[in-house]
Amino acid sequence: MTAITATHSVPVTKTESRWAQAWKNMRRSPSGMIGLSILCLHLVVAVLAPWIAPYDWTLQNGYIMFQGPDTEYWFGTDNMGRDLFSRTLMGGREAIMVTLLGTLLAIVWGGLAGMTLGFVGGKVDEWLMRIVDALLAIPWLLFLLLIIALTGQQSWTLILTLGFFYGVAVIRVVRGATLEYVPRDFVVAAKTRGESRFTIVTKELLPNVLDALLVEAAMRWAWMLLAFSSLSFLGFGVVPPTPDWGLMIADTRGMISIAPWAVLFPAMALSTLIISINLTADAFAKAIGLDRAKAPV
Amino acid sequence: MKHLITSVVMASTLISGAATAGTFRLAHDVGYAGAESLDPISPNRFFYANQMLYSRLVRQDENGQPSPDLATEWSASADAKTWTFELRKGVKFHDGSDLDSADIKYTLERIKDPEIDSPVAAVLGVIDSVNIINDHKFEIKLSAPHADLPLLLMDYRVRMIAEGSGDTITKTGNGTGPFILEELDPEGTTVLKANPNYWEGTPAADALEIIGIPDSQARVQAVMAGQIDFEDSILAQQSKLFSNNPQFQLQSIATGEWRGLVFRTDMAPLDNAKVRKALRLAVDRDEMLKLVSGEGAGTVTCDHPVWSGDQYRTNIDCSQNIAEAKKLLKEAGFENGIEVTISAADNEPEWIRMIEVYQQQAAKAGITVKLNMVPSDGYWSDVWMKHPAVATRWSQRPADQILNEGFRSTATWNETFFKNTDFDNALDAARSELNFDKRKGLYADLQNTLWEEGGALIPYHLNQTRVLRSNVTGLAPVENFSIRWHLVNAE
Repeated sequence: MTAITATHSVPVTKTESRWAQAWKNMRRSPSGMIGLSILCLHLVVAVLAPWIAPYDWTLQNGYIMFQGPDTEYWFGTDNMGRDLFSRTLMGGREAIMVTLLGTLLAIVWGGLAGMTLGFVGGKVDEWLMRIVDALLAIPWLLFLLLIIALTGQQSWTLILTLGFFYGVAVIRVVRGATLEYVPRDFVVAAKTRGESRFTIVTKELLPNVLDALLVEAAMRWAWMLLAFSSLSFLGFGVVPPTPDWGLMIADTRGMISIAPWAVLFPAMALSTLIISINLTADAFAKAIGLDRAKAPV
Repeated sequence: MKHLITSVVMASTLISGAATAGTFRLAHDVGYAGAESLDPISPNRFFYANQMLYSRLVRQDENGQPSPDLATEWSASADAKTWTFELRKGVKFHDGSDLDSADIKYTLERIKDPEIDSPVAAVLGVIDSVNIINDHKFEIKLSAPHADLPLLLMDYRVRMIAEGSGDTITKTGNGTGPFILEELDPEGTTVLKANPNYWEGTPAADALEIIGIPDSQARVQAVMAGQIDFEDSILAQQSKLFSNNPQFQLQSIATGEWRGLVFRTDMAPLDNAKVRKALRLAVDRDEMLKLVSGEGAGTVTCDHPVWSGDQYRTNIDCSQNIAEAKKLLKEAGFENGIEVTISAADNEPEWIRMIEVYQQQAAKAGITVKLNMVPSDGYWSDVWMKHPAVATRWSQRPADQILNEGFRSTATWNETFFKNTDFDNALDAARSELNFDKRKGLYADLQNTLWEEGGALIPYHLNQTRVLRSNVTGLAPVENFSIRWHLVNAE
């Protein structure tokens, strides 16, 4: 696959070597590598949590409620005497799973819709983009709460709802990136060859907007994690007793002056994950030559 | 110079001698999503506002026993079917009109209006008629003997309104209580001002604000931040936040309040009494009390609503018995266990934790408990008494009242949909029995029936932990219905 088709006048760089170059560039960014390391650590922990958690994360014990961190319970215990270290390890699984799938959905539908609108243009583009603008103007958290209150808070509902909403923002970004390529010669040539719209979008435009799409995906993932944790905090995300960072913070926030560790550790876990995604996304954008600060958001 | 000294002395005397009347602020949970009603008998009654706007005929004294409010004295006929009351003279409604026996007749008869469908109708269904003897004396005729009528009249909703005011009371709040409605905004701030004509004297506070804060944690934070002066849904665990802090006063009071789980007895598999008993036997109540509400935060109860301070309470052994629970499930045809989904919102901090603890305890008996989180907004109108299993909360009531109001087949708030003719007949027999010991025995039988067959899981009655800002005065450490609101002030 090529980033720019052969009809383009600029010499084409092979994809493999381009990604290799991007990786080389990224390795030169200390913040990027720190972010990537933390991100990888989070992902590994999320996958292995059930096997590495030292205690049953749902086991309640009335004798050790709000016990401070010590050698036995590294992160202390919560309001029901549950081991906070085990719960913090487990607390990211649902959030990461739901938001990763939600991001994938947002990128696929938002990306395809954005590219298609950018390519088709005209009245259809103009009208549909006004709908996109209207959707973007809705206070998303309230709307999410409304939908979840109506449909329930199963994982698939959260994935679909988050994926839909964040996909709307992706449309605008990808459409903007697509518009840059639509007048280029290789797209005109593809039209002249009689290629179908679907082929032009997937074969000609997608490889060129992929960079912007990947950076957008990382940004959306970080935002979606925050949204998911906000929902859990408000009681609309993960259903107890499944551990979740947002829920853990909500459960113990009233006792923060008595047992700060019960809020601190899940908050740190959530913060480090979001920061690591942002650091990685920043470094990746720079590594592939995209200026994230100038990217349309 | 002499003039100056006199002025200084007078000013300092005033400052030191007179407490400053202020605005007392408290919060409520907006449990009816802004549809809170000032009609005392409405299912959506605005709990705090109504306590301050209206008066009852009879109210609790500091020991929970009947004491005079608008009625100054009462007596019963030998068969306990006719009760005669003397009404306090000189009491005025907020609009300036005088209280007389016609208002009492109107209020008590209105409670039975089928169009209103008030939950209080189940409490006072025994009233047949109210006859006016003169402006300040009336008699209540009962359809059956009732030895404890004054206990029923202490109900927090049996509050007197003016004759003919039923259609407007929802908005006017025209009562005889210590405060007068100034602004009604259940979702924002409801403002009440002191009633200078209150029969017990002008209230200590100038005004009272009731602020809508749905989230219980937010209410705790609000009292910590000084945005409200009083909060009564503090967990025992949270008392550490306020103890030894000179800015706050803590009060812990044994009450008949409870938070519990409700299983509808008219829906399979919960319609099987053996299944319901198994659901109850799976509970370790001491552990649940400790994990959910904190050590010493209440008194264990065996799934009947009669609290430890009630004269009719009976003691039952309801220790956890997993083997018996499994046996009952097997007999009911659920050898491989059952699954129960309980709907709850987070309006009450204990609910979610109670279900989490119950999940673990019930799992030992093969009962899978699932939690269905629902929005707290409109919980009481859309979820409670609609879903098969829900979380519930009740405030304190005397034995006869709560058994009739919560468990009689025809009661509006029969949340378990418990239909048992023998139970209903036993309720009638108990309240008609004039011999105390026999009456107590009958109430004990009713409590045992609920333990054996009922649909409610009432693991314990709560102590109420209250926090007040240090500037609050006049609020005695008594249960909510005994508070004399006219004495309360935030200086």
